[in-house]
Amino acid sequence: MANLQQQWLSRKLVHWTVYGVFVILFGISLYSSEFNLENLNGAGDRFIEFFTRLVPPDWSVTELVFNATVETLSISFAGTFLAVLISLPLGFVAASNISPRWIAHPLKLTLGLIRSVPIIIVAVLFVAAMGLGPFPGVLAIAVHSVGMLAKFYAEEFETADKRIIDAVKGTGASWIQTVHFGVFKQCIPQVLAFTIYRLEMNFRDATVLGIVGAGGIGTYIMVYTQSFQYERVAVLLIMISVVIFALDQASFWLRRKVQ
Amino acid sequence: MTSAYPAIELKDLSFSYDDTIALSIEHVSIELGERVFILGKSGSGKTTLSSIIKGRRTPQHGTVNILGEGSAWSNRSLQKRIAMVDQEFNLISRMSLIETVLSGALGRTSSWNTLFGFFPNREWAKAEEILDEVGLTGLGNRRIDTLSGGQKQRAAIARALMQEADVLLADEPISNLDPELAEDALDLLVECVQRRNIALLVNLHQPRLAKRFATRVLGLVDGKIQFDGNPDSLSASEEEFIYSNPAEPTPSTTKGIHGESATTMA
Repeated sequence: MANLQQQWLSRKLVHWTVYGVFVILFGISLYSSEFNLENLNGAGDRFIEFFTRLVPPDWSVTELVFNATVETLSISFAGTFLAVLISLPLGFVAASNISPRWIAHPLKLTLGLIRSVPIIIVAVLFVAAMGLGPFPGVLAIAVHSVGMLAKFYAEEFETADKRIIDAVKGTGASWIQTVHFGVFKQCIPQVLAFTIYRLEMNFRDATVLGIVGAGGIGTYIMVYTQSFQYERVAVLLIMISVVIFALDQASFWLRRKVQ
Repeated sequence: MTSAYPAIELKDLSFSYDDTIALSIEHVSIELGERVFILGKSGSGKTTLSSIIKGRRTPQHGTVNILGEGSAWSNRSLQKRIAMVDQEFNLISRMSLIETVLSGALGRTSSWNTLFGFFPNREWAKAEEILDEVGLTGLGNRRIDTLSGGQKQRAAIARALMQEADVLLADEPISNLDPELAEDALDLLVECVQRRNIALLVNLHQPRLAKRFATRVLGLVDGKIQFDGNPDSLSASEEEFIYSNPAEPTPSTTKGIHGESATTMA
């Protein structure tokens, strides 16, 4: 009995040490981010002022904002579509059950590297190289998404049941047919679900891309907030919320449907 | 297809896992039209033998000659001439039944067509014919995961028949089925094989069923053939010998219908 209790105690000690470390990290991060509740003094009034300046929304810009939203949607759709086209083949190459390890592994690392660059930096890069407009936005979304989608596809393909792959191979199927029927068909629901999820994320990302000049609704977010036209910002916020909510619902419905 | 060569010829075959010899066969020759049932305990080498014939494993020693064209592990084009029905069926649960049957024709259909899901009209006609043959008429558009265990087994048989192979291997094809379903499935398998005059190799646990359906029985004990002959000549004492001898412990084979478990050997 004593032995069991001692083991329990040593396990608990480990847990408490871990909790302690987190508390200390939390403290350090509060300190270094200049966390100070006194700064909230008077902030409430300014919040209220900001919100009162949002009303009444200036509906005269509705058409403009609507078109910008459509542009943002197009950027995210086009970017995601491009990313899927690139990520699917890359996913097969990066899957260690399909491709040899010496190519799958470095490719996965490269994808991680792409992923680690924040999308806004990617966008700045493309805008600098190609000028203002939605097209650099599309490319930024595509590049950033490939880093994530291809890695996810590869990991999904790796979970494919090997015996089913063998069964397909056993029909005399070619390499492409084996990958298509044995691997891909098994993974379709997960692949679709994650792609839809990524599309949703891409729309959110695409709304801010305009801030660096990559087209869409972000352009107006920047223009209107910097010129203090909060009544127009209100229209932007409403529009973005509606679209994100709709996308969210559609994505939930679609992901449940594809099983 | 008539051939001067036997459907399967095994010579000096030996296969070992690490240090354990799993299989050691001097010479076996199987003709087209033969229905060979391989009896033996779990771990006696039945599955190893069928996976070597199928070309999924390469033996350390010896040769396999399929219709005089070599072994399936070195000659990939032989793959489509050897069909296999696995214990776990290994079907793709999201695919429709008809697509599953059609996938048996992958080996003779161009990759570009199948990439877009196209199969030639004659393959569609053939697949439908086979569905009728295995008693799944009218279920073609159903998804595999909506079928019962017995129906899945028939689907697996249909896919194998679609391959138009010369050799059909079945590894414990009925161990996931109820006893009545099991006999029906073997009945069906044997009928279909007889119509086609191909070689059938079945790994089985039940001597009673082997006697009913086989033209020839091989008894495997610890990887060696201890009986080879007419099923009627298999005496009770020989039967007992095949099943009483100690064999290696069985690796676990627990699984769902298209389960996740890893059955590596035996």
